[in-house]
Amino acid sequence: MTSASIADSVKEKKTTALSSDLIGTLAIAVLGGAAYVVFPDDLGLLTRILAAAFFVLSLCLVTGICGIATLGHAVMYGAGAYAAGYFCVQGLTDPIALIVVGAMAGAVMGAVSGAIILRTSGLPQLVLSIALVQLMHAAANKASSITGGSDGLIGISPAPVLGLFAFDFYGRTAYLFGLVLLVCVFAVLQRLVRSPFGLLCRGIMQDRVRVAAMGVSVYPVLIRMYTISGAVAGIGGALIAIATGVVGLDSVSFAWSAEALVMLVLGGASSLYGALIGTVVFMTFEHFVSAASPFHWLAIVGALLIAVVLFLPKGLQSFPARFLVKLRGGRRDHSS
Amino acid sequence: MTILLKVEDLSRSFGGLIVASNISLALESGDRAALIGPNGAGKTTFINLVTGSLAPSSGRIELAGKDITRAASVERVRLGLVRSFQVSRVFREMAVRDHVALAILQREGKSGRMFGDPWKIAAVASEAPAILEELGLAVVAHEPVSQIAYGQQRLLELAIALVLRPKVLLLDEPAAGVPRGEARRIEQALARLPSDIAVLMIEHDIDLVFRFARRVIVLAAGRIICEGPPAAVAADPHVREVYLGSYANGSRSV
Ligand SMILES: Nc1ncnc2c1ncn2[C@@H]1O[C@H](COP(=O)(O)OP(=O)(O)OP(=O)(O)O)[C@@H](O)[C@H]1O
Ligand SMILES: [Mg+2]
Repeated sequence: MTSASIADSVKEKKTTALSSDLIGTLAIAVLGGAAYVVFPDDLGLLTRILAAAFFVLSLCLVTGICGIATLGHAVMYGAGAYAAGYFCVQGLTDPIALIVVGAMAGAVMGAVSGAIILRTSGLPQLVLSIALVQLMHAAANKASSITGGSDGLIGISPAPVLGLFAFDFYGRTAYLFGLVLLVCVFAVLQRLVRSPFGLLCRGIMQDRVRVAAMGVSVYPVLIRMYTISGAVAGIGGALIAIATGVVGLDSVSFAWSAEALVMLVLGGASSLYGALIGTVVFMTFEHFVSAASPFHWLAIVGALLIAVVLFLPKGLQSFPARFLVKLRGGRRDHSS
Repeated sequence: MTILLKVEDLSRSFGGLIVASNISLALESGDRAALIGPNGAGKTTFINLVTGSLAPSSGRIELAGKDITRAASVERVRLGLVRSFQVSRVFREMAVRDHVALAILQREGKSGRMFGDPWKIAAVASEAPAILEELGLAVVAHEPVSQIAYGQQRLLELAIALVLRPKVLLLDEPAAGVPRGEARRIEQALARLPSDIAVLMIEHDIDLVFRFARRVIVLAAGRIICEGPPAAVAADPHVREVYLGSYANGSRSV
């Protein structure tokens, strides 16, 4: 090889990242659209899946990309849900504005909680994150004049989207609104993960000492990612407030945080696609199996999780990825 | 010649074990120095103290005339004080080429960019392939570290340090664990470094030390026991004694 062609082979990607991102985003839009057509009676469930998808994507950013251990991620989701709900009750009824409010509330909560838990790492970090979500849960319960306490925040009735599409009884508008949002956010996050900043975060996850020896101050980088993650979770919270018209205390609970982690690990923590796959599988299972038998539901989730952790350490997403590799007859592209 | 790194009376101990005892040392622009000494002499500890990953119990460190004794370690890197690690510290699940890209981005102040392909940034696109080729890593550029040989990881460790464009470069046994053929590449890469930077290399391979260094510093039990041109140091009976293992307590001085 000449030195010019060596240089080119170093620079080029095995698969062009942009086109595979585009295909992925399109696939989500198509699958989401298909679900709308095929399951018109389950739009309530589908919308809850969308909201959870934002939440798990947000967790993927900090846990899967940066390696931060948290079991209290619902503080950001809850902040978005309560903020959007509260502003709507107060008269700001434009749904897009409410999504922005949710994103901002989530981002602020992300920055504040991040500033606390990112001071530590490992087990102390995990414990701090749990303490934070318990604290916020108690606070939301106490501040019943704003949050409705244990009765929930009710009376959220947003105006039509863009003044054109009213939220209907069947949840069609809510679902399509959420789907468009998810596709947009996903496309942005894909770019973020591939950016220099995304590369830096993956470096931090693997060896902080090495990154610091390159001259990187780790803490501010993590705070930034935590803030972005908070905005994404906040959008999910705002979406559920808009779609269901109520916000309950469970949106800022330890249980919801833990479920997000289960969904993420199930799908594959280090991949945005994994976050989506894990969410869809978990939420669908929960809906159908837990309705039939709550005991079996927990047993099946437990068994599934053990199987994934033992046999598919990179989660369910590695299943189709492996298949694709066989199909192409090539190697995996490790850098993505 | 301007003094780039000046260390005065640096000391540190772990419990009762003295690992740095009043070490004073200056590196000038263009210096090619080697730090040698038996296992456990405190060579790596010296780098840790200078780069700020360990706090000295006393002493003073100056980088290009600036007191950095209390500066955070990342600040020292930004001022041009770069180290490599004795045992490669690289990202197991990251492609070889992305390590170099990340280091270049950081040097250019662009590692925080939240959009765009790192490989579209001019400095990365022009420098990364060149350094990878120079160190023989171009063939594994797309492989994650977990898939490459240990010798190649050592070379990657060096590549990261080089692209940071240090003023003062501290190399901790860069050739240890590297097969002979590839060790040559390390020497060639070091020979092509800008002549005005100062390099201090810890190395056990005496042949390599002789080819590289114009000055050798011998450390034993946390103390500098001898310093001078390679030939003079090699002829020093006390140094020979240390390397033969009869050196026991560091109480004698040269
Ligand atoms: N963080 C630490 N805590 C306690 N003891 C330490 C620490 N780091 C180093 N030591 C001890 O200090 C002494 C000097 O270690 P150092 O790693 O600096 O030696 P070295 O000269 O680099 O040796 P080698 O040639 O084997 O790399 C050793 O006895 C080591 O066990
Ligand atoms: Mg050492």
